[in-house]
Amino acid sequence: MTEEKIVLKGRKVIGGVVEGEALVSKKPLMGWGSLNVKEGMVVERNHPLYQIPFQGKVLVFPEPRGSGGFNGYGLTRLFGTNPAAFLYRRGNNLTVFAAMNMEVPAVTDFDRDPTEAIETGDFVRVDGDAGIVEVFKKKK
Amino acid sequence: MNLTDDEKRILDGGDGAVARKCMEFLVAYGEVAGAEKLVDIDGTVDLHPGIFWVGKYSLTREEIEELINRGEKFKVPTFANKCVNPGFIYDGWEDCGTLPDSAPGYREKCLAPLKSWIKMGMIPTFACNSYLVSSYLPSVGQHCAWVESSAIPYVNAVLGARSNFDGCFQAAYLGKVPAYDLHLDENRIATVLVECTAELKRDMDYDLFGWAVGEAVGMDVPAFVGVGKPTTNQYLKMNSALATGGQVYMYHIPGVTPEAPTLEAAFRGKKPQKTITIGRDDLRRVYEMLNYGTSDDIDFVYLGCPFYTIVDLQKAAGLLEGKKCKSPVWMATNPLTYRAAVDMGLKDIIHNAGGTLISGACCGLINGEMPESRVIATDAAKQDYYITGVVYPKKLQVRYGTMEDCIQAAISGKWKGEWR
Repeated sequence: MTEEKIVLKGRKVIGGVVEGEALVSKKPLMGWGSLNVKEGMVVERNHPLYQIPFQGKVLVFPEPRGSGGFNGYGLTRLFGTNPAAFLYRRGNNLTVFAAMNMEVPAVTDFDRDPTEAIETGDFVRVDGDAGIVEVFKKKK
Repeated sequence: MNLTDDEKRILDGGDGAVARKCMEFLVAYGEVAGAEKLVDIDGTVDLHPGIFWVGKYSLTREEIEELINRGEKFKVPTFANKCVNPGFIYDGWEDCGTLPDSAPGYREKCLAPLKSWIKMGMIPTFACNSYLVSSYLPSVGQHCAWVESSAIPYVNAVLGARSNFDGCFQAAYLGKVPAYDLHLDENRIATVLVECTAELKRDMDYDLFGWAVGEAVGMDVPAFVGVGKPTTNQYLKMNSALATGGQVYMYHIPGVTPEAPTLEAAFRGKKPQKTITIGRDDLRRVYEMLNYGTSDDIDFVYLGCPFYTIVDLQKAAGLLEGKKCKSPVWMATNPLTYRAAVDMGLKDIIHNAGGTLISGACCGLINGEMPESRVIATDAAKQDYYITGVVYPKKLQVRYGTMEDCIQAAISGKWKGEWR
């Protein structure tokens, strides 16, 4: 049986290699007042990931939005609720600080939109140093 | 990163261990961000006092004391944005009626961990909009390191200075910051044309417009046509909503903001990558999203996000004068404007109506501290949207409207605001 595999090429943010199941948000992520750091989940009302734990998942999102409290994603590391990897379409200093605190493989500026190419439940291998993300599509 | 000889010397420890640690942070940050070099800050720093962006590069209290003992100071004018330490309130804590510690001296307790930063030269403005009371602003083209949702669009778009969202101790101490993103000309050019077909008149209209644009453009740089000439209060609402509904750090209003004398100049002669229209229906959609409470019984009213200006306070006090509020109402401003409000008798008017004037804090900042509430009212998209997550897992609903709607709700205890 063959698995469908997609390879995305992006730019290293934080190095390291990790594998895991994807959790994808098509809506930007917010930090302050929208993230429960201790439980590792989005608590932003109206958000598709509301109350879904991201601990150990490869968290995929388009971009950050809102407050500097986005750095709360980085602070999840202190509680062990952090995602396994952090993949985003485009970022700025807030994603940089969050990724530096999280210290997990992180990649951005891909050759295609990761929130389109990757779906929740796909198995993903992230090589942060090479900026390569291999996506093994979940069985339909 | 390409470092100058001076920067290399600091990184090699030539200026001491603390300077080296600060430089290590700026270099690590710059490399992760893809910056090619550092830039000297010739403008100002605005930072959240007492905290560091990245834990492993934090300075200890002893390290900061060491600098102070050597007589060292921040190299550039450095202002305190809001303090995010739990429970920090500068004025009015004794009137809140909810804090466990209402003893005199509470302010000193709040300030104690920040004394060393003040000794380094941090100016204790303690405000999300410190730029309104700092008495010293960067000028067009100057490089800065600021923080805060409403402040970043203000420094970039309104003042025409250049800043990412990265004000911090290290940048203030070394007077340098990684040169990328909004420090570079090419990232400040408009890419999206936003045509506003709604008439923006009330402060709330700018709040709703900012949110609608933020949602539509995310991190892009828009140019606005049809938005008039916003007042200071309208800039505050629009900027905070732009950086909450989305993450707009830079925009242009042709003929108004300093980097866009004309529409063509905003785009540097290039064509917009896309054009969007924001109309009255869009504002209404955002209004309905923010004003979603199912009950008209208002338990608490929060005003002052971003912190109310003295003009807001004059207006609010005018609405409250001679009235008695059925619902508790807190109004937040910055510490310097608080002093002016005391001198003008505005604080007494608010107080006599049953309201509470606080400074240096908002409900969201003090972990959702507020009178016991199921439904609150506010006139700020930013506070409205964040507060439910701040109090999670407690349930809270929000009614949203103009300052007048909110003050009427405080007086009558009932929400009567509606879309108009």
